[in-house]
Amino acid sequence: MSKIKLFIQESWLLLVSAFFFGLLIAVADKAWTPKIEQNKLGETNQKMTSLIPAAVNFEQTADAEIDLGAGKKSKSRIYKALSADGQCIGWTLTAEGSGFADKIEMIIAVDKNFEKIAGIDFASINETPGFGDNANKPAFRNQFAQAPAEDLKLTKTGDAGKIDAEIVAITGATVTSTAVVNSVNNYIKPVKEYMLSKGLIQNGK
Amino acid sequence: MANDAYQPSLLDALTVGIWRENPTFRLLIGMCPPLAVSTAVKPALTMGLSVIFVLICSNLVISSMRNILKPHLRIMMFTLTIATFVTICDLYLRAFLPDMSKILGPYVPLIIVNCIIIFRAEACASKSGLLVSLLDAIGTGTGFTIAICILAGIREILATGNLIGYRVMPEAFVPWLAMQMPVGAFVTLGLILGLSAALTGKNKGAA
Repeated sequence: MSKIKLFIQESWLLLVSAFFFGLLIAVADKAWTPKIEQNKLGETNQKMTSLIPAAVNFEQTADAEIDLGAGKKSKSRIYKALSADGQCIGWTLTAEGSGFADKIEMIIAVDKNFEKIAGIDFASINETPGFGDNANKPAFRNQFAQAPAEDLKLTKTGDAGKIDAEIVAITGATVTSTAVVNSVNNYIKPVKEYMLSKGLIQNGK
Repeated sequence: MANDAYQPSLLDALTVGIWRENPTFRLLIGMCPPLAVSTAVKPALTMGLSVIFVLICSNLVISSMRNILKPHLRIMMFTLTIATFVTICDLYLRAFLPDMSKILGPYVPLIIVNCIIIFRAEACASKSGLLVSLLDAIGTGTGFTIAICILAGIREILATGNLIGYRVMPEAFVPWLAMQMPVGAFVTLGLILGLSAALTGKNKGAA
């Protein structure tokens, strides 16, 4: 009994403070979590809108499970882009891959039948400033807009302005370029198959 | 710890952290943020203000409970206090300054282990009254903020040619990419440390 008494005697301040500090954090968390969630949602929405400007609304449609090979699995969140009159004008899907420094999280937009890529954007990218960071610059990103939604190839030389399945890598950032192209390839095909199997899109061919 | 062992004059308490015991340039403690988030002035300023907030709160709390603090449990108490206010600060940044929060990333939660704050709690707040602790927190925090902003200013100008988004260098200026990378932080910091030592004559006699 005396041991418990000693324990309380020595640590009552710590226990009481821990309780009050915990309360303080709980209140702050309760007050600001909705705002934080809203920020995240707003950011994703804004990026999706910039990829498919004609869309007025994005509807979360499904979560597709992606098998990345070697036992790695990942989830892709799929949104349906709706125009003002409620027509489906495209899809966006989330993708991720390992970059040079950190995980690269991307948003890929495709057209209605998964035939062409409408564009890509990054939800999270922490690559080397001046090198891998350039993936987020229009010069690299615009190569994906209107590119065919099939296996993209990475090349070291070529015309970045020409829109085709060849993506010109960023100088000094081979790992980042490969990661971005691979993620696009890894996600679009399985997601397309998933969408076909669910009857959400029709095969145009 | 019942006696208030640390009793500087009020002016001293406020100014000591800004120059004479500037945590970054003179004491070289809490060096992680000055090196890591000094790529641009805006995030550096956000980091500085966050540290001032945490420092003021933790100093006030520690100072007000200094007479009932058990000496062998004090570090635990300091850490608990600091962690609480850093978490609140992190939540606030994520809610109201999401862009800054994204740039600063893990460095906001890392303020918890920033040596400056626990050092002021140990050296000042647990040994002096509320007013001295408050002034000390403002002084030390300001010293830290000024230091990190000087570093960030130099690096931002040389790495991008801009300062807080405004062009300050001539158009022909070629940005030094290295300044944006860790090497830029170390080189800039080293040169500033050398300069401040030369200015205060600390290296006299070392030849």
